[in-house]
Amino acid sequence: MTTAIDIQHIDKLFGRIKALDGLDLQVETGTVHGFLGPNGAGKSTTIRILLGLLRADRGRVRLLGGDPWADAVRLHRRLAYVPGDVELWPNLTGGEAIDLFARLRGGTDPVRRDELCQRFDLDPRKKGRTYSKGNRQKVALIAALASDVDLLLLDEPTAGLDPLMEAVFQECIREACAAGRTVLLSSHILAQVEVLADQISIIRQGRIVETGSLTDLRHLTRTSVDAIVDSPAASLATLAGVHGLQDTDGHVRFEVDGDHLAAVIRRLGDLGVRGLTVRPPTLEQLLLRHYGDEPARNGAVA
Amino acid sequence: MATVMVNRPVVAAPAKGGGRVTGTGTLLRFMLRRDRIRFPAWTLGLALLMGYFATALETFVESPADLEGLTAFSGSPAGALFGGPGFGFDDLTIERFLAGQYGLYVAIGAGLMGLLTVVRHTRVEERSGRAELIRANVVGRHAQLTAVLALAATMAAVVAILIGGLMASRGYDLGGSLLFGASVGAVALVFAGVAAVTVQLSEYPRAASGAAGALLGAAFVLRGLGDMAAAQGGGASWLSWLSPIGWSQQTAPYVHDRWWPLVISLAFAAAAAAAGYALSARRDFGAGLVPPRPGPARAAAWLDGPLALAFRLHRASLIGWSVGLLAAGLAYGSFTQPLLDGFTDAPEDMVAIMGGSENLLDGYLGTMGLTMALAVGVYAVLAMQTLRAEESEGRAEPVLATAVSRSAWIGSHLVVTAVGVPWLLLVAGAGMGVGAAVSTGDAGSFGNLLLGHVAHTPAVWLLLAAAALLYAVAPRVLPLIWVVLGYGLIFGYFAPILDIPASAGWLSPFAHVGEHPLEEVSVVAVLVLTGLAAVTAQVARLAFRRDVVGRT
Repeated sequence: MTTAIDIQHIDKLFGRIKALDGLDLQVETGTVHGFLGPNGAGKSTTIRILLGLLRADRGRVRLLGGDPWADAVRLHRRLAYVPGDVELWPNLTGGEAIDLFARLRGGTDPVRRDELCQRFDLDPRKKGRTYSKGNRQKVALIAALASDVDLLLLDEPTAGLDPLMEAVFQECIREACAAGRTVLLSSHILAQVEVLADQISIIRQGRIVETGSLTDLRHLTRTSVDAIVDSPAASLATLAGVHGLQDTDGHVRFEVDGDHLAAVIRRLGDLGVRGLTVRPPTLEQLLLRHYGDEPARNGAVA
Repeated sequence: MATVMVNRPVVAAPAKGGGRVTGTGTLLRFMLRRDRIRFPAWTLGLALLMGYFATALETFVESPADLEGLTAFSGSPAGALFGGPGFGFDDLTIERFLAGQYGLYVAIGAGLMGLLTVVRHTRVEERSGRAELIRANVVGRHAQLTAVLALAATMAAVVAILIGGLMASRGYDLGGSLLFGASVGAVALVFAGVAAVTVQLSEYPRAASGAAGALLGAAFVLRGLGDMAAAQGGGASWLSWLSPIGWSQQTAPYVHDRWWPLVISLAFAAAAAAAGYALSARRDFGAGLVPPRPGPARAAAWLDGPLALAFRLHRASLIGWSVGLLAAGLAYGSFTQPLLDGFTDAPEDMVAIMGGSENLLDGYLGTMGLTMALAVGVYAVLAMQTLRAEESEGRAEPVLATAVSRSAWIGSHLVVTAVGVPWLLLVAGAGMGVGAAVSTGDAGSFGNLLLGHVAHTPAVWLLLAAAALLYAVAPRVLPLIWVVLGYGLIFGYFAPILDIPASAGWLSPFAHVGEHPLEEVSVVAVLVLTGLAAVTAQVARLAFRRDVVGRT
């Protein structure tokens, strides 16, 4: 498998503020890569470096086999970008903007464009200044999804879309993936990334703190267990990897580290379990572990 | 067990049919708070402008002969077009000249003040969504309009009192001074009323202020035609009576001192405000009476690259500037003959600006060429400022994320603007040429005028390239380019009378080509300026190869 995006240890300074601090990121061709992090963690800065709009102060960046700063124009023919906050020209209609972006990129598929306008329920005859934030977002999404490119760089692309449109968006990303496209999807909406991404990288204060498939990451975290047992369950607390045990009249709740799950399930069997709910960790929990437990470092970017 | 009686506050039931203006007082105080800078800036600014005119004129006019010289010019049809009906100009005093010639421009300022104030507190608020928050409170449907009309009326009254007081304090007749102040304030009131109607029509603030501004322009033109006819003794002088500015001017302060034309102004303002109330009740909140038109669903086939995009973005401004410069050219061109008649008696300094009495025609036409070049320079700088807006408002980023390089992006905007420069100079020159030909009855200077205008192209190009370089290196310092333009203006106009040494002129790009037809066009200057502009533009393109996001 080849690598569509390969970032090695880049730094980016804005004045004295360090936006990126030794960031590494690899995205394999043909995958959907979730790029998760809170606001101000450096997601947009990373994407702008990938677009050659900003230049990294240190480190190495390869995009589709080229240098995004030096080969920007050549590479941009093979990618499409959707910013998180789309601004349109007030006196151009949405349809004009979509066509313009497609032509500036070097190609357009009018059938696909019209189909997407319909699916996203966008009236392309309205002027840019009359669109709501969600509709401006749709314009940029349609322009990106209608073009025949290898890579989609999406920076919080569904901010302002309603749940119905969010579903259409997810469908479109699956289609893009099936067509062999690579997608870098930055978001702080965890559910969206959870549903779509093959791989996830979590960024915090300018560096990647965790990367891997959702399954990989789940090994690193705790599973929530909710069980009803016949026998007193206090002995569970003595097992390795069990945290926060609560026992109310035979209804026990606790969390267990991923690699100790087998032993705990065996012990639950011995205790005469009658009901059992086991929930995988949500991305909220993954994030909480990274943003909730560690003390904040000073000097990093907001 | 104790019983607790809870006394709930009694909410007064809304009065039947009333309450439409509930909250007006609070809103008015709120508007005054928001306009704590704007209010004094407009009112004091207009009064100070009048004060400046008065001081300048008193300095300029040293003897009765100077006053007679002014009469010859101002009493002509062209003087009437750009001044007023000229009441009492056959027995001219300084205050009569101030009210009759300069009062017009203060009145236009007052009209702008009235209409912009109303648009700012109604349609702008509605469009931004802030008015929705206000209206969700205990605020009547008409409270916002009522409050802003009260605000505009207050501003008009303050302007009237300040200008009246200022004129009286200079020793001019008290009654005439108060009437003159009131006639200026009346224009503010009338156009506040006009804006109360136009803000109901469209959803967009710019359309509202644009429509009201167009009516202000129409008022200027109507009274201009009427006053011109009056100066020639023609029959079309009734046209002045169709213009709200005309009503104010017909009061003839310091001459007839008539108050009754202001009754028309008041009645018109009241009727317009009433129409505004009636229309506002017929539309939904946030909507306009004229529904927005849908645009094309597809981009035109030619809109396919950075150059086409740059043209599309600058097109509206280019059309506007073309129309404006053509009109200005025609107007100033038609000024030629009356000016030649008037200036034979004009004060010496004025003649010196135009290149001396023996070359008056060529001097005037050459000076106008420089004026138009400076105006086109303003266009070029504004075009570069839109580039900065494209970047800071986030529209450059998605374009640069396509197969458009930085240098192609800045280059395409530069090319479109650079082509626009000779085009606009040509349009202005053609307007001047036609106007001058009609005015003097001699089309002989047409070719010279075209050449005299277009010859300034390299100077504007250099200004444009310098602006592009400033933008590329540090967008924040782009406004510094106005200094170059300002220097060009001061040197070009006032070097002969301010004793500025001619050697200081090499700093101004506008001082080298020559003011044709008064002077010959310098081929060397044209070539050098063009070369410098090309090099500067190229440096700007190279300097732009840096971070483009988060610079501004």
